[in-house]
Amino acid sequence: MVGIGILAVLAIAGAIGVITARQPVHSALYLVGNLLALALLYLDLQAEFLAVAQVIVYAGAIMVLFLFVVTLLTAGKEDREPPEDLAGQRAWAGIVSIIVGIVLVALAIKYPGAELKVALPANFGNLQGIGRLLWGPDFIYLVGIAIMLLSAALGVLVLNPPKRERQIERQLAAAARAREAAAGGGAVPKAESTNGKEGQGA
Amino acid sequence: MSATSTMLPEYVILGTLLIAMLGIMVSRAHSTLPSWIGLLGTIGGLWATADLWSRHLKPVLLFNQSLSVDNYSLFVDFLVMIAAGSTILLGWQGEREHDEFPVLVLLSALGMMTLGMSANLITLFLGVEILSLPLYILAASHRDPLGGEAGLKYFLLGAFSSGILLFGLALIYGATGSMTFTDFATAVSSNSPILAAGLMLALVGILFKLAIVPFHMWVPDVYEGSPDAVTSFMAFGTKVGAAVILLRFLAYGFYLSPDAWGPLLGYLALLTMIVGNLVALTQTNLKRLFGYSGIGHAGFLLIGVAVHSVVGARAMLFYLLPYGLAVIGAFAIITMISNGEKNVTIHDLEGLAHKKPWAAALFIVFMLSFAGIPLTGGFIGKFYLLQAALFAHQPGLAVGLVVGTFLGLGAYLRPLQAMFRHESNEQALAGWNVNWAQIVVLVVAVVGTIGLGVYPTPVVHMVNQSANFFWLH
Repeated sequence: MVGIGILAVLAIAGAIGVITARQPVHSALYLVGNLLALALLYLDLQAEFLAVAQVIVYAGAIMVLFLFVVTLLTAGKEDREPPEDLAGQRAWAGIVSIIVGIVLVALAIKYPGAELKVALPANFGNLQGIGRLLWGPDFIYLVGIAIMLLSAALGVLVLNPPKRERQIERQLAAAARAREAAAGGGAVPKAESTNGKEGQGA
Repeated sequence: MSATSTMLPEYVILGTLLIAMLGIMVSRAHSTLPSWIGLLGTIGGLWATADLWSRHLKPVLLFNQSLSVDNYSLFVDFLVMIAAGSTILLGWQGEREHDEFPVLVLLSALGMMTLGMSANLITLFLGVEILSLPLYILAASHRDPLGGEAGLKYFLLGAFSSGILLFGLALIYGATGSMTFTDFATAVSSNSPILAAGLMLALVGILFKLAIVPFHMWVPDVYEGSPDAVTSFMAFGTKVGAAVILLRFLAYGFYLSPDAWGPLLGYLALLTMIVGNLVALTQTNLKRLFGYSGIGHAGFLLIGVAVHSVVGARAMLFYLLPYGLAVIGAFAIITMISNGEKNVTIHDLEGLAHKKPWAAALFIVFMLSFAGIPLTGGFIGKFYLLQAALFAHQPGLAVGLVVGTFLGLGAYLRPLQAMFRHESNEQALAGWNVNWAQIVVLVVAVVGTIGLGVYPTPVVHMVNQSANFFWLH
């Protein structure tokens, strides 16, 4: 019980750090702390596979992705926030959420859950148990999540469409210009540099 | 019966969207092939729903009680098919919408159908997410500043409300130890404060999707920035999904404690009806106007849930159909005027009655149905809701409904007034464009709207068969 409390405090501290840190990299590191605390909570609940998957997938793979995006997007950018348009809204949101949080915490302290006295099923929380659940009775949820992820993949296509045709046209035009220039014995290097820039843009 | 045959509409839609993706792959850019596949799929889904309906199924629970197929879910399938089919038709022209448009619409429709069938917490959450994710993308799909704002606002607020919903669901599970709706009321701790806190948080998440008043701030901006066809889908489909899951969640899970949530929903319904219709009065942008009027209509729908009676459930379920038909009809005319280019304001309607009398006449029919004038479906729907409020001895709700209706009437008369104005500006109706797809939507919408107003008996009969699950427990 004490362990759960410490982990909960760590997780919440990490989460608060994510949204209050000024530097995006610091936010990402706070997120690592939050995810690790969650993994330990899973471990405490005897969900070993989930804990390991949490560390490998979230704290490992996804965090690396985050850091790449952060370095690509924010390199040399201003890290100050733009001036607030809606003054007061932030304060009210804070007050309301603190009240809701206090109510929820008070409820949790006043009415603690009863300790579970049932024996866990065999293979609970390990890879085999989770696999049997996901491909057995809970298969429909797996299908639902697959459909959900499909829409995410489609979203990338829709919001970030491959501009293949226009790009090819532009490259062909550049090549034609280069050929003309070569025939005239002129500015070949300039055409090449244009080509190079477009290659980077893609 | 097996899952394959009772879930045929869902399987048809899933198969259709996969085939439509293949269609995008093999066809050249901006072809209408994916749209054709999507349209045929929704017609196939309608056929499968009608076939299942005609077999008079007993309710079945599938996949470890996570999905429930009954007349209720079939009626929802029917509504969702109309919403999805009309959206694909309104976004028909390939140059206007991107190729993936029909696929995303079908994905979102699948989420709505899941919400209609959902019988436990996991499918509830999955349904909400499958419904929302494609809509976030569709809202931003035009990649102009307004669309980006719409998509980002919808995404951030939607994700935040999903978080609150998930927190509530976790507390409910923690208090009852069960995921299945029907176990909540009979659980040992059925009156524990933790359960109540979970219910409140879960209600916030669902009411956000339904755009009930304290959680409605996102609606006007998102409706304004999204493409026209997508806005019509949000106004119809999202409301269907959120309203039906709210009704089933409360009627299955918390039917023993209606005193705990009924008055709360009643006050919210009152607030929503008044605020939505009142703010709609001042709007000049037609999409914002329909956004606020949609908020008002969500308030009307909430009456049916708040009274917690069979009459209320039937009234709510019935009201979804005339509301949705009027939405798709009105948006068909908006797409004709806007031609996908700009946002239509009331001034763009000037002179419509003289230049395009037919379109103006149809627009009047839809506005009158929104307002609840007799001989349109909206009147019958409001009549049933009023009946439900009075049967539940809630005169406050009844008065609120009438006041909201009058305010709404004022809001809908302003575009009509503009239509008959003579001094039309030169720019009005410059981009007027009609294609066959919009005509199909208009015909379906107007036949449905007037048909429901003149002879509602068949649909009333269907609704009576759908919303009878209160006696199951």
